[in-house]
Amino acid sequence: MGRYLLKRLLLMIPVVLITSLVIFGAMNLTGGDPALALAPDNATEAQVEMIREELGLNDPFIVRYLKYMGGMLKGDLGTSYVTNKDVFKTYMQRLPNTLELGCASVFVAVLIAIPLGIYTAINQNTWKDNVGMVFALFGVSMPNFWLGLMLVLLFSLKLHWLPSSGRNGLASLILPALTVGMGLAALITRTTRSSMLDVLRQDYMRTARAKGADERRVIFRHGLKNALIPIITVIGMQLSNVLTGSVLAETVFAWPGVGRLIFDSISKRDTPMVTGCIILSCVLMSLVNVLVDVLYAFFDPRIKAQYVRRER
Amino acid sequence: MSTVTKSTVTTAKPVAKMKSRSQGQEAWRRLKKNKGAMLGLAFLILLVIVAIASGYIFDYETDVIGINPAEKLQKPSAQHWFGTDNLGRDIFARVLYGSRYSLIIGVGSVFIGLVIGVLCGALAGYYGGMVDQVVMRINDMLYAVPNIMIAVVIVSLFGTSTFNLLLSLCVTVATAFTRIARASVMTIRQQEFVEAAYAMGLPTWKVIFKHILPNCLSPIIVQATLSIGTTIINASSLSFLGIGIPSPAPEWGAMLSEGRNFIRNSGYICVIPGLAIMFTVLALNLLGDGVRDALDPKLKK
Amino acid sequence: MKKKLALLLSVVMLLSMLTACGGSSSGGKTATSEAGSQSSAAAGSATEAQPTDDSGIPPHKEELIIGTTADINNLNLQKQQDAVNNIVLKLTHETLIFFTNEGTIEPRLCTGWEYLDDTHIRFKLHDGITFSDGSPLTAEDVKFTYDMGLENGLSMLNGLVETKVIDPLTVELVIESYSNEFLISLSSVPLSIQSKKAYESGMDEPYLIGSGPYKLDKWEPDEYVTFVKNENYWGDKKGVSDRITFRPIKEASTRAIALQNGEIDVCIDPSIDNLPDLEADENVTVFQRPGTRLFYLGFNVQQAPWDNLKLRQAVAHAIDRQAIVDTVLAGKGKTQTTILNRGLWSFYDEMEGYPYDVEKAKALLAESGYTPSGKLPILISNESDYSQVAQMIQAMLKEIGLDIEIQVVEPATLKTECNKGTQGLFLWRWNEDSKVDFVYRDLYYTGSPSNYHHFSDPRADELTDLVLTEKDPEKRLQYSQELQTYLVEQCPQVPLYIKDLVIAYNKNLQGTYLYGGGNHDWRFAYVAQ
Repeated sequence: MGRYLLKRLLLMIPVVLITSLVIFGAMNLTGGDPALALAPDNATEAQVEMIREELGLNDPFIVRYLKYMGGMLKGDLGTSYVTNKDVFKTYMQRLPNTLELGCASVFVAVLIAIPLGIYTAINQNTWKDNVGMVFALFGVSMPNFWLGLMLVLLFSLKLHWLPSSGRNGLASLILPALTVGMGLAALITRTTRSSMLDVLRQDYMRTARAKGADERRVIFRHGLKNALIPIITVIGMQLSNVLTGSVLAETVFAWPGVGRLIFDSISKRDTPMVTGCIILSCVLMSLVNVLVDVLYAFFDPRIKAQYVRRER
Repeated sequence: MSTVTKSTVTTAKPVAKMKSRSQGQEAWRRLKKNKGAMLGLAFLILLVIVAIASGYIFDYETDVIGINPAEKLQKPSAQHWFGTDNLGRDIFARVLYGSRYSLIIGVGSVFIGLVIGVLCGALAGYYGGMVDQVVMRINDMLYAVPNIMIAVVIVSLFGTSTFNLLLSLCVTVATAFTRIARASVMTIRQQEFVEAAYAMGLPTWKVIFKHILPNCLSPIIVQATLSIGTTIINASSLSFLGIGIPSPAPEWGAMLSEGRNFIRNSGYICVIPGLAIMFTVLALNLLGDGVRDALDPKLKK
Repeated sequence: MKKKLALLLSVVMLLSMLTACGGSSSGGKTATSEAGSQSSAAAGSATEAQPTDDSGIPPHKEELIIGTTADINNLNLQKQQDAVNNIVLKLTHETLIFFTNEGTIEPRLCTGWEYLDDTHIRFKLHDGITFSDGSPLTAEDVKFTYDMGLENGLSMLNGLVETKVIDPLTVELVIESYSNEFLISLSSVPLSIQSKKAYESGMDEPYLIGSGPYKLDKWEPDEYVTFVKNENYWGDKKGVSDRITFRPIKEASTRAIALQNGEIDVCIDPSIDNLPDLEADENVTVFQRPGTRLFYLGFNVQQAPWDNLKLRQAVAHAIDRQAIVDTVLAGKGKTQTTILNRGLWSFYDEMEGYPYDVEKAKALLAESGYTPSGKLPILISNESDYSQVAQMIQAMLKEIGLDIEIQVVEPATLKTECNKGTQGLFLWRWNEDSKVDFVYRDLYYTGSPSNYHHFSDPRADELTDLVLTEKDPEKRLQYSQELQTYLVEQCPQVPLYIKDLVIAYNKNLQGTYLYGGGNHDWRFAYVAQ
C-alpha cells in the first residue's frame, strides 16, 4: 500500500507537466493578445509594444514555456500580467473562500441528502419514494445561477432576511451554500438510497429485526452504519469537485473564490495566473482523489487485491 | 458538475451474456412499474415529438428569431401564450423550437463523449499498466480543469457555434465515462467467463467488445441518461457566462441568461425557459434513476 | 421514524432562521458612528497644512460603500490602464490639472500655468502640499513622475520633450509643438504626481503614496477595496466619509438588489431593465445625465465587401437607430449623426447623415454593385448590450437582403481581431469626455492601433493634425466640423447611440461629482444621517 501511495504521488508530476503544457499552450493559441487586452483603448503602438516586451510576449512560445517551467521548478508560479501580483499568493488568498463555500455547500447537501436518502430507501417504490427523489433532484435539475437568482429574489429582496452578495459573515454564506448544496444533494441522496437499499436486504438486518429490536434502532445503528462507506466516498468526491470553485454561484453572489478568479483571468488572457491556478487546483484535486482511492481500496478488498497483484 | 459515482462500480456485477435478453425484458418490466421513470420517459418522448414538429409548425426566420420591438415584454395572453421577450419575440415559439438545441446539445455531446470515454476507459481497464496510467493521468488532468476553461479555449480557438459547444461539453462527459468503463472493466476482466473466452482463443478486441463491454452496459446507460441532463445544464451555464450558443438562437440557457435582467417585472421571460430546462433534466434524472434500479441485479428476487 | 425526521428538519430550519436573523441585523443598515466622524475632524484640524474650520462636517454614515461592476486590478498608476482603477486612484492621488464633471479644466496641484511660448509651459505649484506619508510634494516629484511616464510610453504624454525643475515650486514643460489638448492630457489619472522619495526609499508599492484626501486601507481582491482618510491631506476641502469602500458585484440584478437591501449605498451601472424597480423604491435615487460613451457599428473599410462606400451607406440607411435606443435602452440614450462623442468641444450634428430609409438603402445597395452572397459576419464582444443590438441590426439588415451572422467573442479577442484587421463588421464603443484628438486620431488616423476601421485618408489625417495645432479658435472649430462632416460622408462607422449615464444610490447620498463618462469623483461623497 505504501508503495502504491508513493507511486500515485509521483504520478502527479507528469499530470502537472501535461496540464501546464496544455493550459499554457491553449492560452497562447486562443485569439486575443494579452498586451492588447491590457493596454488602454487608445494605446499607441509603442505602448502596446512596451507591454509586450515587459511580459516577455515577444519570445517564441517554447522559450516562454521553458522560462515559466524553470520558475515553477523553483516554486515560483509567476506573476499575474494584470495585477503584477504573485500567482501563488493570489491563489492562496482565494482558496480559503472557496473551501469555506465548498464545505458549507457539502454540509448543506448532506443535511438534505442523508435523511432524504434514508427516507426514500425505507419507503422504496411508494409515492413517498417518488416525491422524495423528485425533491432531491430539484437542485440538480435547474441551472445553478437561476436557482441562485431566485433565492436572492426571495430571501434578500422580498424577505430581507439575508444579504444578497459578498462575503461578510455567516449570513452571507447561507444563500450561496444553499445554491451549490442543492446541486450536490441529488447525487448523495441517490447514493444513500441505493446503499441503504443494499444494506436493508442484508441478513444481519433481518437478524436484528428478528431479535425484536426497535425499527428506528435497526435502521440507524445497523443500517446507516453499514451503508456509510459509499456515501462517504461520494461526499469526498463532491469535496474535490468544489475545489475548483463554482463560477456560477460565485458570480451571482459576488463570492471571491477560485472559480471566478480563473474565469476572469481567462477573459483577460492572464496566462501565468490561469496556468498557475489550474496547476494548483489540479494538484489539490489529485491529492483528494488519491485519498479517496486509498480509502476505497482500503474498504473494498477486491480493488485492493488488484493493486497488489499489479505491483507484484 | 458531472460527477461519477464510484459506487456504481460495486453495482456492476457481471451477468452472463446468455441471459442478457431475458435480463433486458426483466429490466423493462421492472422499469414499467416505476411511475417516476415512466413519467420521465413520457415527457421525453413528448419533447422529441415537439422538437421534430416545431420545425414544421414555426418558421425559424419569422416566428423564432424575427424581432418585433412594438410587441416587446408582453405578458402571456391568448395571442402569445407565454408572452413575448425583450425584442418582442414569442416565447412559446422560442421555447418549443429551443427544445431542438437542448436535445441536440445534450444527446450529441453525450454520444461523442460516451464513445470516446468508453473506448479509453475500456482500454485502460483492460490493459492496465502503462496504458492505464497514461489514460488516467490525462483523465485526471481534464477532470481538474474546470469545464468552463475547456469551453473558453475551444470557443476562442474555433469561434462560437453549436458544434464547438458540443465539443467543449463532451470533454467533461468523456472523463466520466472513462472512469466508469475502466472501473467496470477492471472488475469484469477477472471473471471466469472472460477467462473462458480467452481459453477459447478469441482475439483481445473481440473479448472486449463481445464479452466485457456488454456486461458494463448498465452503469453506462445510467450515466448516459444522467449526463444528458448535466450537459443541458452546463450548456445553459456557458450562456450565463457569455460563451454559449450565440444569439439569436433560442437555446434555453441563452434565453434564460438574456432574460435574467427582466426577472423581477417580467418573470415569465426567465421562468419559462427555466422550467423547460428543469422538467427536461428532471425527466432525464427520473428515467436514469429508474433504469439504474431496474438494471440493478441485486433487486432480482 | 417520522418524528425523528421531522425533528431533524425542524432543527435545520431553526438553525437557518437563526443565522438569517443574525444576518439581517448585522448586514442591514450600518450603525452610525458619531465618534468616528468627530475623531477624524479632530485629526483634520491637527494638520497644519491649511487652517480651516472643520466643525462643518455634517452627520454621516461612517462608511460609504459603492457597488461596482468589476474589481480594481492594479493600483500602480502608470502600469495600469483601467477606468476601474482610475476611479479609485482619484481618491488617493492628484494631478497638476483637474478635469471637472462640467467638462472644464482647473488647476489642482498648481496655482496656475503660463505659456512662455508655443512649446514652453510653466506651472507654479501650491505651497505646502504633502504626500500621505507627510513628506512635501515639490517640482522634483513632478519631474520624476513625468519622466517615469515617458519611460512607460504613456500616450497622454505624447509630444512632451522635457520636464525642467526651475525651483522647488516651479516646473517647466517643453513640448514638441503647440497642441490644443496637451493641458487636458495632464489631467489623466495615470499622470497623478507620485513621490520620488518613496520610489528611492525602495519601499514596497511606492505608488501607493499620493497627495489625495484618502489612502488605501485594505484590498481584498474581488471582495472589496477600502480607503480611509489621509490625515496628512494638505487641501482645505476634505472628504466626509471616514471610509470609502468599493465592492465589486458583477451580476447586475444582484447589485441592484444589494442597493435596495441596504448592503451598498451606490449601484454603478444598474441594468436598464432594473430601473423601474429602483425608481419605485423610495429609499433609492436614480440619477441620469447625458453620457459620453458612443456605441457604433464599425466597418473594416479594407475588408471586402466593406471597402465599398455605397454599401456602407446602404447599411447606414437601413438601421433604425431610434428603435434600438427604445428597445435596448428603454429610451435612455440619444442617437446622433456625427462620429464625435456628444458633449465634446466642437460637437457638430447638423450634417444630413443617414436617416432610416429602407427604400434609399435598397437603392444604394443596388448602386453599389454588391450582390448579397453568403453570410456576413458581425463580430461582437460578450459584454454589455451588444448581443441585443446585434440581433436588431441583423433583423434590420435582413430587410435590405443582407444576411448577417453574429459572432460572439471575448473583448480580448475582439480587440486583437480588430487590431489585425481580420474582421468585417463589428460593434464597439468609444468613451471620450475631454479630448477630440483622442477620437479623431485614435479611431481614424492612418496607422493608429485603435483604428479598427483601418481607415486611411490623407484629407482626414490632415484635418486631424490641423484641429490639434490650429490656434485660431474659429478656424479650429471650422476644421473640426469639416472633419466630422467628411468622416460621416466616408462612413467608416454608423454611430448608433450615446448611452445616458444612469446610476442609482441611497437617497441620502451627498457630495457627488458624477461624470457622463463614468469616471466619477467620490472624494466628497457621503451618506447623510
